[in-house]
Amino acid sequence: MSMEASELHDLSDDADYAASQQQGSASMMRCDSEKRSSSSEHEGAELIYLKDNVAIHPTQFASERISGRLKLTKQDSILFLSWIPYKGQTSNAKLSEKDRSLYTITAVPFTEVRSIRRHTPALGWQYVIVVLSSGLAFPPLYFYNGGVREFLALVKQHVYLARSGEDANVFLVNDFQSPLQRTLSSLELPSSLPVASGQSTYPLDGGSSSDSQGRTSAGVDNRVSQYVSRKQKSHDPTRDLSIHLLEKFSLVTKFARDTTTQLFSENNGFGSVDKRWNNQPVHSYSEKLTNIAEEKDNENHHSYPEKEHLNDEEINLVDVPADPLEFNKLSLVWGKPRQPPMGSKELTAFLDSEGRVVESKALRERVFYGGIEHQLRKEVWPFLLGYYAYDSTYAEREYLRSVKRMEYATLKQQWQSISPEQAKRFTKYRERKGLIDKDVVRTDRAFEYYEGDDNLNVNSMRDILLTYSFYNFDLGYCQGMSDYLSPILFVMGDESESFWCFVALMERLGPNFNRDQNGMHTQLFALSKLVELLDSPLHNYFKQNDCLNYFFCFRWILIQFKREFEYEKTMQLWEVLWTQYLTEHLHLYVCVAILKRCRSKIMGEQMDFDTLLKFINELSGHIDLDSTVRDAEALCICAGENGAASIPPGTPPSLPLDEGVLYPQDDDVL
Amino acid sequence: MPSRRRTLLKVIILGDSGVGKTSLMNQYVNKKFSNQYKATIGADFLTKEVQFEDRLFTLQIWDTAGQERFQSLGVAFYRGADCCVLVYDVNSMKSFDNLNNWREEFLIQASPSDPENFPFVLIGNKVDVDGGNSRVVSEKKAKAWCASKGNIPYFETSAKEGTNVEEAFQCIAKNALKSGEEEELYLPDTIDVGTSSQQRSSGCEC
Repeated sequence: MSMEASELHDLSDDADYAASQQQGSASMMRCDSEKRSSSSEHEGAELIYLKDNVAIHPTQFASERISGRLKLTKQDSILFLSWIPYKGQTSNAKLSEKDRSLYTITAVPFTEVRSIRRHTPALGWQYVIVVLSSGLAFPPLYFYNGGVREFLALVKQHVYLARSGEDANVFLVNDFQSPLQRTLSSLELPSSLPVASGQSTYPLDGGSSSDSQGRTSAGVDNRVSQYVSRKQKSHDPTRDLSIHLLEKFSLVTKFARDTTTQLFSENNGFGSVDKRWNNQPVHSYSEKLTNIAEEKDNENHHSYPEKEHLNDEEINLVDVPADPLEFNKLSLVWGKPRQPPMGSKELTAFLDSEGRVVESKALRERVFYGGIEHQLRKEVWPFLLGYYAYDSTYAEREYLRSVKRMEYATLKQQWQSISPEQAKRFTKYRERKGLIDKDVVRTDRAFEYYEGDDNLNVNSMRDILLTYSFYNFDLGYCQGMSDYLSPILFVMGDESESFWCFVALMERLGPNFNRDQNGMHTQLFALSKLVELLDSPLHNYFKQNDCLNYFFCFRWILIQFKREFEYEKTMQLWEVLWTQYLTEHLHLYVCVAILKRCRSKIMGEQMDFDTLLKFINELSGHIDLDSTVRDAEALCICAGENGAASIPPGTPPSLPLDEGVLYPQDDDVL
Repeated sequence: MPSRRRTLLKVIILGDSGVGKTSLMNQYVNKKFSNQYKATIGADFLTKEVQFEDRLFTLQIWDTAGQERFQSLGVAFYRGADCCVLVYDVNSMKSFDNLNNWREEFLIQASPSDPENFPFVLIGNKVDVDGGNSRVVSEKKAKAWCASKGNIPYFETSAKEGTNVEEAFQCIAKNALKSGEEEELYLPDTIDVGTSSQQRSSGCEC
């Protein structure tokens, strides 16, 4: 065990170095004593580096930061990275042990790391973002005591690290120039290592997770030793090549077997079980249950042909593992029936004489179960989005609107006053305007409100987006924003009101458009955790087929299904999501619901990543909204606390702190 | 039994937002143009069967989002590409200036086995706009850039009018095929190894 600090001569000019060195030696001592007392360190692993006070910021709130210890260990010449949050961090009552272990990075081999991006701002904390070959990225690791440079210098001593030609702050790991080296390196990549958290299984029955800490440590041991043994077996290049060939042949064999299975499963009698796309009553789960019960093992081999509704292609049927939730459907109320949209009489009943919403939760519940009649949206959306306070009066809102109208005019003036001469010297402005100009003319132009040449509503959309890019200059404009604004402008009509509703929505969903895409990565990660929880066979399928990055759901999440439903249906879905009634993250359960409805097709046809992406893109326009929302509701209830624990705190749309008290049911989780 | 790898040619279209990537793809595959394509979110692809010397191939053409912010997705989408099409708008200098970025980003993220010789094709689109009067990037300038990058084939197109689109994609398919063959060392039964594509002239030598 050695820090090898003496070899880092070139770091003398690093402002953080002195501090980090001191910190490093102090923590080494602490580590020594801990190692003696702990049996969780894997045997034979050499500690290369240890850094205390490295933190993850799940949200923008200082109270929710998680501090921990970053380690590099080496075993059999493979470097592993881990980050373990400190136990029993007292400053932070809102974070449970579960939250912490969710972020734990347990012994990730550097062969799985694609790149490390460093951020060393002059002001503020340094951090690194570790990006895996799968495309997933861990949240930024903040070095509170500095020392990012020292960290990278140490990594460089053990793995091939090359500065990216594109970005001086990106370091590519194992980016070999030699094709042979590259091939060998990629062959060594294990495909089945979990990406992050040690908690890979969540008992659906609400079983105890009190021993998660112990399990996590044990998991590290197993994983490291499994990985090492695999690595040792495959170090001979010729052997690797022959294995590669054998794998190709096994695919051929598999194809033959699949075809056979298809021939024999055509008359299996289950052709009509799953008709829910057409919103027909779910029929005969007991029939299915009987059959499932007859199976002796847990791997049930049933094939359920999917509806023509989805896709006209021929369906190849292979053994598809049964949906683990089929059992639960018997005992569950599978999503309450949807109600008709809320009308004006009902809305009036929610308001007191001065216009306050007396029981905001009841209003949100009503909208959650049925949406809103279109002409009332203009009145209700600002509440749902958080632009109007529920306890404001008619008069207060009238006043708010007039104040905000002036504020909007001022903001708009900022870019309207830019002269052509100034614009010439203002590249960022020109670029943003160019992007916005290009996008507004191709946003929902087939929809009546925006169609035709010289459409004034298209101009309003441009003005709002440009004003927003000044209001939130840090975020700027990003593609997808116009998709969000379009229905808002259509509903609100007024430019200022639309702007402020859009601002409120971006308070929640702005992270979707972050430059580092962290908001999207967090949501895709949470989605993978939810699928693991709610459909482990499907999760395993994605894992085996290199689909765990869930990029095929990127469009769904970035613009919350805007391209998947027709205009009116999108507005219905959005107002349901915006109520944040059962959860802030219903959109993720909607993703799970849709994926589960297609599970037998996805697995039955053995879709690879490309085919899956195409399939998901082509679902657009073929998803039944009401039944999907019912499924999502049921899945959310079914997942319960385990579901909430699968979603890292701060996953967009994160709630502003003061609204948090509206959701007492989340108290034990957040 | 032919392997999937040999009959599928994967092509990635890259370039700034709004240069016409989606339009080029749709013009080539569906022979259609629309003013109403939405900005591409995430990625999508279309496939088209192409024939070369009595053999059928499936050209899988990937259309990606043009905004820089989404480049991190490339890792998943560029993997296994056989050819990369760079597109710029002849009426936009910035879209031309960004070609270097797109090319380098692709090489980093796709990490092809032989980056020096990985086939790129450059397309200057929208030559129809304003009868060519609003053009700001000359053909000469574009060709000079192609020459500096190892003689990348260059085409000027109008996705709107369909000008030169078929020709460009034939060249793209041909280059993808060559690139694919070079990687087929482990199943050599029906492949002519050794048709190196190091010398590429402007345009296609077919």
